[in-house]
Amino acid sequence: MTQYLSVEFIAMLTGFLLMVIGVWGIISQKNLLKIVIGFSLFDTGLNIVIVSLSYVKNSTAPILDKAVEVSDAASKIADPVPQALVLTSIVIGLGVTALMLAYVMRMFREKKSLEINSYNELKW
Amino acid sequence: MVNPIHIVSIALGVAFALGFLGKRDKLSLGLVLSTLAGMVAISAGWFIHFLNSSVEPLQIFTGGFKPPFAINLQMGLAEATFTLLINVAGFLGAIYLTKELLKTGKNMMLIFLVFILGLNVMVMTRDLFNLFVFSEIQSIALAGLIILDPNRKSIPSGFKYVIATGLISSFLLLGTVFAYYFSGTLNIDFISQASLQYVKGGAVAVFMVILAVILELKPFPANGWALDVYESAHPGIGALVSGIAGTTSLFVLYKLIPVAPFISDILITLGLVSFVASNLLGLSQTNPNRLLGYSSIGQLGLLSATIGMQQLLGDKFIFIALTILISHFFAKAGLFWLSGIINRDDIKDWAMLRKKPILLVLFGVFIFSLIGFPPLPSFFGKWSLIMELSAGNQYMLVTSILIGSFIEGIYLFRWLGYAIKLDFSDLPEFKLNISKFLPTLTWGILLIATGVVASAEMEGLSGLSYWPLIFIAFIYLIDELPIYIKNTLSIAGLAFYSWLTLPELYYTDMLRFIFMGIFLIGGILTLIAGYAYKGKRRGFYPVALIMYAGLAYIIQASTTLEFFFGWELMTAGSYFLIIRGKKSINHALSYMLFSIGGAYAILAGFGITFAETQSMLIASLSQLSNMVPLVFILLAIGFMTKTASLGLHIWLPGAHAEAESDVSPMVSAILLKAGVFGLLLLMIAMGNNPQIATIAYYLGWLGALTALVGNMAAAFQEDAKRLLAYSSIAQLGYILFALAMMSHLGWLTAMYYSINHFLYKAILFLTIGAVVLKVGTHSMYKMGGLIKNMPLAFIAVLIGIIALSGVPPLSGFGGKWLFYNAVIDKHWYFQGIIVFFSGIVAFLYLYKLIYSIFLGQLKDNLRHVTDISLWFAIPIYILIIGIMIISAKPEWLLQPLGKMISQWYPNGALAWNGGLATSTYGYWNGNGVMITIGIMFTTILIWLIVLSRKAQKVKQFNIVYAAEAPQRPETTHQSYNMYAGYNKALGWIVAPKITEFWNMMSDWILSLAHFTRLIYNGNGQRYLIYILGYFVIIYFLVF
Amino acid sequence: MIKKGILLLLLAGFVVVISNLIINFSGSSELNPLARYYAENGPTEVGAANLVTAVVVTYRGFDTLGEVTILFIAAAIVGFFLKILNSNNNRTSSLRKPSEILETASTLLVPTIFMLGTYIFINGHLTPGGGFQGGAVIATGVMMIILARPTSEFNHKLLSILEAISGIGFVLMGVLGLILASGFLNNAFLPLGKLGNILSAGAIPIIYVFIGIKVGSELTSILNSLKENQNEV
Repeated sequence: MTQYLSVEFIAMLTGFLLMVIGVWGIISQKNLLKIVIGFSLFDTGLNIVIVSLSYVKNSTAPILDKAVEVSDAASKIADPVPQALVLTSIVIGLGVTALMLAYVMRMFREKKSLEINSYNELKW
Repeated sequence: MVNPIHIVSIALGVAFALGFLGKRDKLSLGLVLSTLAGMVAISAGWFIHFLNSSVEPLQIFTGGFKPPFAINLQMGLAEATFTLLINVAGFLGAIYLTKELLKTGKNMMLIFLVFILGLNVMVMTRDLFNLFVFSEIQSIALAGLIILDPNRKSIPSGFKYVIATGLISSFLLLGTVFAYYFSGTLNIDFISQASLQYVKGGAVAVFMVILAVILELKPFPANGWALDVYESAHPGIGALVSGIAGTTSLFVLYKLIPVAPFISDILITLGLVSFVASNLLGLSQTNPNRLLGYSSIGQLGLLSATIGMQQLLGDKFIFIALTILISHFFAKAGLFWLSGIINRDDIKDWAMLRKKPILLVLFGVFIFSLIGFPPLPSFFGKWSLIMELSAGNQYMLVTSILIGSFIEGIYLFRWLGYAIKLDFSDLPEFKLNISKFLPTLTWGILLIATGVVASAEMEGLSGLSYWPLIFIAFIYLIDELPIYIKNTLSIAGLAFYSWLTLPELYYTDMLRFIFMGIFLIGGILTLIAGYAYKGKRRGFYPVALIMYAGLAYIIQASTTLEFFFGWELMTAGSYFLIIRGKKSINHALSYMLFSIGGAYAILAGFGITFAETQSMLIASLSQLSNMVPLVFILLAIGFMTKTASLGLHIWLPGAHAEAESDVSPMVSAILLKAGVFGLLLLMIAMGNNPQIATIAYYLGWLGALTALVGNMAAAFQEDAKRLLAYSSIAQLGYILFALAMMSHLGWLTAMYYSINHFLYKAILFLTIGAVVLKVGTHSMYKMGGLIKNMPLAFIAVLIGIIALSGVPPLSGFGGKWLFYNAVIDKHWYFQGIIVFFSGIVAFLYLYKLIYSIFLGQLKDNLRHVTDISLWFAIPIYILIIGIMIISAKPEWLLQPLGKMISQWYPNGALAWNGGLATSTYGYWNGNGVMITIGIMFTTILIWLIVLSRKAQKVKQFNIVYAAEAPQRPETTHQSYNMYAGYNKALGWIVAPKITEFWNMMSDWILSLAHFTRLIYNGNGQRYLIYILGYFVIIYFLVF
Repeated sequence: MIKKGILLLLLAGFVVVISNLIINFSGSSELNPLARYYAENGPTEVGAANLVTAVVVTYRGFDTLGEVTILFIAAAIVGFFLKILNSNNNRTSSLRKPSEILETASTLLVPTIFMLGTYIFINGHLTPGGGFQGGAVIATGVMMIILARPTSEFNHKLLSILEAISGIGFVLMGVLGLILASGFLNNAFLPLGKLGNILSAGAIPIIYVFIGIKVGSELTSILNSLKENQNEV
């Protein structure tokens, strides 16, 4: 049971909760901007999950300075890989969000509506 | 060799450098095009490199470290092939979009370039996270390309696309990072080695990864977003999405299968569901781009199912997947490009293609490639797929693949029919832009070229010569020359082929000799009639020759593959021949559908045979011991779609009646014999098997009923050619009946009838066709009294109907005699009585035919018609000579036939004594009958002439002697509603119940399609819900 | 109501799926072999004190190139939207005047923010931070300018030239790594120097400068596009 009280677990749970909230927003909100916000929440949650994966018990940031000597780095630092991945993931999330917002702006210009239900021309 | 990493460096370098160029758009485009060309060169170099040597794939270590410490790219034969496909398509796709890219400026150009780059890296990378990054690049770039043509439709659909792929890639990312957590690596090969499917949680992680890739392949029903993109984006973009983005995703799926091997089984199901459902939905589409979207999703489904079948297919997997993939790749992009050229929103407007005939040819090539006709690559792919699946006893899979393909055939051929036949005079002229035409043409050529390459890889196709096809291509190239040149060349071609094959067959194989003779000599004779036409008759000769080539291939085939190759070729050619008729659009479609259905039954039958015997030889049919009845029935159904037996006949009357005058005899007298030949082969191979006897018994009944219904329906026709068409159905019913007897006399009858039917039906169709050309109508009640204007035609029809009806002295009598002997011998009295009765019915329509056209009162408007064209008369009279010979000297034909049939049925043969044939039940001397009847006839004639010396000649309008008033022919012509009384009494037998049945089937399928497509309600959020639901449901199915 | 129920059911299904991941997550008590390799060999192979940077720029530098590309095309697409708007509409600007505090503070803060951003990407191989972080900080400076002076115009030409130079520079560094060192994007074609020095880790500082400029200019152009778009709405 103690594992469920550790830092990384709580961080991960938070991330997952954010993701679930994001998914709920995505599938239940009718407003385009809220859907985009749902995606942002989902992304953020996902990023928190990724970061919490990198944590190793009692470790510190993977930067070699006075606190962490080169020789015992392997036993002191957190996993640098997820941290590198999360950087990429954040940037991609940013790009996608910018794209979504640009689309929403364009759609709003065409129809003056932010309701997703009013963009159903193409179907069947 | 240039390091493949430079695909990335030059593409990105140029994409970034476009910023320097400011507004110099032409220069930018030139730079982008040359970059794409450079990328083509790099991947082509590697492709050739790996093709020539079987070296290990090249590993590219980015960052300079080995995996798993850094990201590595791989370049092997597979990667080289796929990057080559991507880059060539990218290059041509950019050329295609030249105008649009120049209009929108450099932003779109660099997005385009980055899009192609992303796909390249997706193929090459061996790192899961890197795959995620570059698939994001690809999908974001695509989100930009969708608005290449920003309009009310494309912007919302672009948004749907962005949110859908956003959700899917989130799954991918989540799966990827957890795969890293559970395996400690991001390298695909190392993850596979870690066997995460056995790790708790790890299995879910890789499941998420693989399912995200599957979702990228737009499986039904989580694919509404993709359909909207296909419909609204510029077709040039649709081509890229469907052609190369789909192809890349498939390769990624293939690459990732080892990571989550447990997905294979469910992948097959998902793929096939998508295949069948998308094709079903395609039925109710009218927008070409959306239709292509459905078709595209269907093909992706089939291909992803194929990837799931990797284990089942063994060595053949690569070949099968590649051929089907390449067909899809070229054909779908080509079709989208065509759609962009003509730019219409309704598939009915595709008749516009005829304004530039070469486009129509390309369209045909693409459609036939999607369905899988020879010699296009997917034909071989589908053949091998069915064979291998059957060999693994996967009959459910075989069935669903064939059903899906069949449904796909329905809408694709309906579409092709629209393009070939619908009126296009109201549609606008359009300019054929070279930048749009060139890529499309290249794709068509490459498609055919890959087909040829694929055929070289096939086992069991060695006996097939490509010279006939090359000859046909040549005839197509000279399509602009006048008829007489093309006709002469075509006849020369057939004659040359006859000279090559017939003498040899005469000594080695009588059966094949006879059918080859019917096909080739018949072909030559019917082609002679073609001289009567004027102008160029564009497109006629290539397709006619394709049909004859197919027929010849069938005869020469020694393996089932060669047979099927010929069969499909013949179907394709005859389809184009039939659709040439004025009102043939629907008839040609139903002909095609029955043919495809039949062909798939044949394919399944051959598949089962291959599964047991592991041999593709046709002879291997006889070694079958399991499932013999099933194979027999499948093959028989396949062949009976061509012989138009009752139940499968509804395509025939329209198709034959509406065809052109010289095409009707081709498709009636000649083509139908292909089915007879098939049935004969089948019965020769399997006839000895006791399990067949019952089926044959029912086939006999089917033949008898076909004969009855066909003849009765013929009697009620007002249309001369329709009458003959129904008559053909009935005659083929006789042949089926005779074949089903499975006895010496039965088969002798069948063979004799086949030859006879060829002769007299060719005579009748040619003559009636020639008459129709002169009088301009098919309706018999609009003719009449033509005997004096057309004596040549009259004599020909008279001889034709005497031969058909079976009265002495002509050949039909011999047929009847043989027939009754066979029936008595077999004790099939009930069926025999039905056939006998239907023979009497035949007199009704034969009388109607000759009476209403040639006798009675001459119509005013036909007073000045002249006799039929000499070019029709020549083949007709040659055929009449043929009838006369076999009537006078039946032994010349029957003795060799008997000898041949004794191979299989030695008992019950006729005993010959000169011209006298003796059976158990009686004897017959054809020559004697002819002489006797001749003497009787001459005597009576002389007597009548002597008697009637004092007779007064009556003019037509001398109403003192004539009871008929020549006005208002509809009501007063005797042949109008002739036999109304019989119709009242017996019409119920020929009520179109079977047609109604098929109509009901098609209505049912259509309403299913209409109903199912309502799930795509256009709401982007709904599509997200489908994606999430798909994800969750598949999860619960797998775990 | 039924629809809501179905959605909730779906959400519950989703929770079940991802709960499999979290239930089987037990944290880690030591580095996995891959991370251990980076910890042990990173300092000697790459020479960056910040191991995340070593991974981001060198070991997984190819991802980073992709990442930059994503920003690049996202900016291009957003810019494309903008272009359509400009050609279609004449602009009517009716924006509220920004507050004086913001205007005054921005003149003071923006140069500092730019300097901080530059510091972050130059020191990316030593301290927490790097090209992306630095670029993002610079973009916040731009954001502040936009808020403080909504009417200010950015020099598009300069932006696109900055984008181009930094992008090409990044690719060029990669190619140099391939030619002069052991592979595409390998940083060791310049001396690795002493671990912890500002001039160490081979080409990483240069690459990070390019990335910083690239990210800064891409984000600026996205912000700018969105801003100009907003003027219309």
